[in-house]
Amino acid sequence: MALSFKVKAISRKRFIKNIFLSFIFLSSFLLILFSKSDYFVINKFKSISNTYLHPITSFVTTPLKVASNLQTQFYEFRNLKVENKILKEEIMRLKKWQALAIHNSSENRVLKKLLNATNNNLSLVKTASILTRNDFLYSKMVKINAGLKDGVIKEMAVINHRGLVGRTVDTSINNSKVLLLTDPNSSISIKTISNENHSLVRGADDGVHLVSAFIKDEKMPKVGDLVVTSGSAQVFPADILVGKIVKIIKNNFYVLPFVNFKNIDYVQVVETK
Amino acid sequence: MLSKLLSSQIIIYHCILFFSFSLSVNYFVDLEIVNYLAYVCFHLTLIYLFFYFFHFSHIFVTFLYAIFFDIFLVDSISPHLITFLAFVVLFYFTKKYLFNLSSSNVSYIIFILTLIMFISEALIANLQFNYPINFENFLWIFITFIIIFYPTLLVFSKIDKL
Repeated sequence: MALSFKVKAISRKRFIKNIFLSFIFLSSFLLILFSKSDYFVINKFKSISNTYLHPITSFVTTPLKVASNLQTQFYEFRNLKVENKILKEEIMRLKKWQALAIHNSSENRVLKKLLNATNNNLSLVKTASILTRNDFLYSKMVKINAGLKDGVIKEMAVINHRGLVGRTVDTSINNSKVLLLTDPNSSISIKTISNENHSLVRGADDGVHLVSAFIKDEKMPKVGDLVVTSGSAQVFPADILVGKIVKIIKNNFYVLPFVNFKNIDYVQVVETK
Repeated sequence: MLSKLLSSQIIIYHCILFFSFSLSVNYFVDLEIVNYLAYVCFHLTLIYLFFYFFHFSHIFVTFLYAIFFDIFLVDSISPHLITFLAFVVLFYFTKKYLFNLSSSNVSYIIFILTLIMFISEALIANLQFNYPINFENFLWIFITFIIIFYPTLLVFSKIDKL
């Protein structure tokens, strides 16, 4: 009797284990399938894990963040004297530019009045700061502290004072995920400032540059050309600064973005007016 | 069974797992090496935990970590989940042979398995989501792994004796 009870217990245990393993594999299969088809459940799951798990992992890593900040401050203090000298020279240079800019701005205003042209096509949705960065190893993403409650929705352009940063891809009530320009899956339509060359660029394999994915009419731009968003894909407003063409290799051109992605603290979410 | 699951060593290993997971998914621009260390440490700890403290519940824990790694690092579920589950299956069906091996042989297997896991994650991410295999990142991961492999196993063996 005792033996039969033991045999029954073992077979029941094995049955539960088999059920459990089947459950794990079935859920994995469904998750991978949903992830591929961009199903509602998977987006909800992502947004929940971003909202609840990320704050915990951020809290755990707080000591390291403090250490990282201290290290940065230490380097900044060490370079203070040299930086001061550079800044003084920069102020002199900028004063000359300021005079020129004031002159151009007034001229611009007069010309716009004459042409009856509309003003800036950008409207600010929200200024946000970077909460966490997930651009280690694979995807290039950052999380910002602006979400649905601030009017931020999917597929909005994100910029900073230097130019285009990326676009929002996932939004929750309080936070949003921003796909950086340098991600290999981030594609944007651009044009040269001279309006001669239109093309599509995506993040290059090195994680620093953008590489051309399609060039309209195969018109190759020149090294040194500045590129801006063309606005043709309806995601990014037109004429936002993107970067500068730095090299051309085998019918592909490489753009170095103006934004320093290692040093972004604040960004602005914008949309077309 | 519960006492086995809550033994002090296992709790320590789970703390290491969670801590290294947290460090891996939060990118430190100025201390990038910490991210590499944590990422390598996570894989090593997970495999070690399976070899020396196998429990059925660890499969579920692995499943959860794989999903969260995929969500935070890749933003799509696949590379880590497929790799971790392949490891679980491989381990589950060969464990009766693996448990008979000597500790040095086990350490060789851990070494090879960890390397295979890194490579397969990158390959799946490349094939499924078009993420290029960044050789600079890979080189850093391998260097970090080779440097910390032996010291980590030494620390783990000390933890085992607690």
